[in-house]
Parts: sequence; structure tokens; C-alpha cells
Amino acid sequence: MPLKRKKSRGGEEGGINMTPMIDVVFQMIIFFVTTAELERTSVDMTIKLALAPHGPAVEKKDPRTIVVDVDRKGRIKIARVRFSLPALKSVMRKAVAQYGQTIPVVIRGDAATKHEDIKRVMDACTAAGLWRVKFAAIKDAAAPVSN
Amino acid sequence: MTPMIDVVFQLLIYFLVTIQPHDVIAHLDVFRPSPEQTREQPQTPPKMIRVAVYADGYAINDRPVSLQQLDRLLTKLAALDRSQTILIMCTALSPHGRLVQVLDLCAKAGLNNLSVISTN
Repeated sequence: MPLKRKKSRGGEEGGINMTPMIDVVFQMIIFFVTTAELERTSVDMTIKLALAPHGPAVEKKDPRTIVVDVDRKGRIKIARVRFSLPALKSVMRKAVAQYGQTIPVVIRGDAATKHEDIKRVMDACTAAGLWRVKFAAIKDAAAPVSN
Repeated sequence: MTPMIDVVFQLLIYFLVTIQPHDVIAHLDVFRPSPEQTREQPQTPPKMIRVAVYADGYAINDRPVSLQQLDRLLTKLAALDRSQTILIMCTALSPHGRLVQVLDLCAKAGLNNLSVISTN
């Protein structure tokens, strides 16, 4: 009997208490899921990007990147806030004054947007001296695209 | 353990149902001539490859081509020289998707010196 008791006691005290770890892991999972959602809501989801299956995937994200949304009617939005063309120009000029001319600009244009609307945004970029202009496109569509 | 397993399964099912898969985004790099530059020299240097994007078609060096032909030509051109400048002239009324298509073909061929200019 005394031998048996010793064994069981050793089994209970030697094991690591898992409960706090599980708590922390759950907290982290929930944190990452919610922050991923937040990041996704900062762009206009109504824009249907064109497909570019051979384009280079986004490798590193520059935190200074300006993402400009242009919807199919030519409306310009940054982080879902509508901007007029002069307002966009002043935003870009301010960004240049703050960070210099190497800030990348990503234009998320709808596939059906007329080029003249995209051109206006590009001209605003070049007028501010920003030369790193990129177009966003879908490399791999997660859900089948309905056009 | 049983209640915890129940909760974990619930969470798992919740996330499986709610999470929408993410599209993988590509960023297509272009060069843009400054507005002053285009005003100074309206005609393009003759040795450059010019790809025109219209609302209803494409043309390479003023010759109308289909998308497949353009793909083949760009692949051939890329075999000669990958760093040559490709001038993409896009008309104002053509949809943005067409320009992206051409940029995608250039990316596929490995051409990396792309200039986009707008025409009327």
C-alpha cells in the first residue's frame, strides 16, 4: 500500500498544469483572428480586382504604403473614406513631405474602371513626386470569381 | 477534459463556418513618366516596343493582335532582352482590367521595365 500511494502522488505532482497554457493559447488565437479581420476591413471590398495569375505576389509590405481604391465609377477612396482629387493630391503631398518620395502607392482599381480614372490617380502620384506605383490584382482567387 | 473538448469543437466549427478564404494579391509594378516629361516629348523613341491597349483590343507596334498573339510575341521579345522598355499606351476609355491583363502577360514573360502612358 505505501508503495502504491507514492507512485500516484508522484504522477500528480510531476505533471505540468496545462490549464493556464490553454487559456493563453486561446487568447492568442482569438487575438490573431480578430486583428486579421480588422486588416481586411480597411479596404473597399466591393472592388473586383482583375486577375493576374502570373504577377509577383506581395512579398514584403511597406508600412508606409498608400492604398488607393478606385471603384468602377471612378470614385477614389483611401481606407473606405472618399477623397476628391485635390484632397488626394494634398494627402500625397503631405505624405511626401513626411516620408520622402520612396513611398509605394498601390492602386486597387476595379477591373471595369475606365483607365482615365486610374490615370487621374497616377497623375496625382507623379505630381507629388511618388514614382513607385503598383496595381493590385488577384493572383489566386480563393473563391471562384463571378463575372 | 470533456467540457474543454466540447468547447474546442464548438470554436473549431465556428471558425470553419465563418472564415472566408483570402485572395492572394499580386502587385504589378509600373513606371510612370512624370507629366512634364510626356509634354516635352510627345513622340516615343522608335526602338521601343509599344503595346497599345484599346477598349476593344490590343496592338503591338501599331499592329492589332489578339491576347494570345500578344502573349506569344512578348514571350519571344523577352527571350531576346528582359530589361528592354515596354511602353504600354492605354486609352482613356479602356477598362482597367485590360491594362492589368497586359501587365500580367509582361510579368509572365519576365519583362520588368514597363512604362505606362495614357493616351486619348
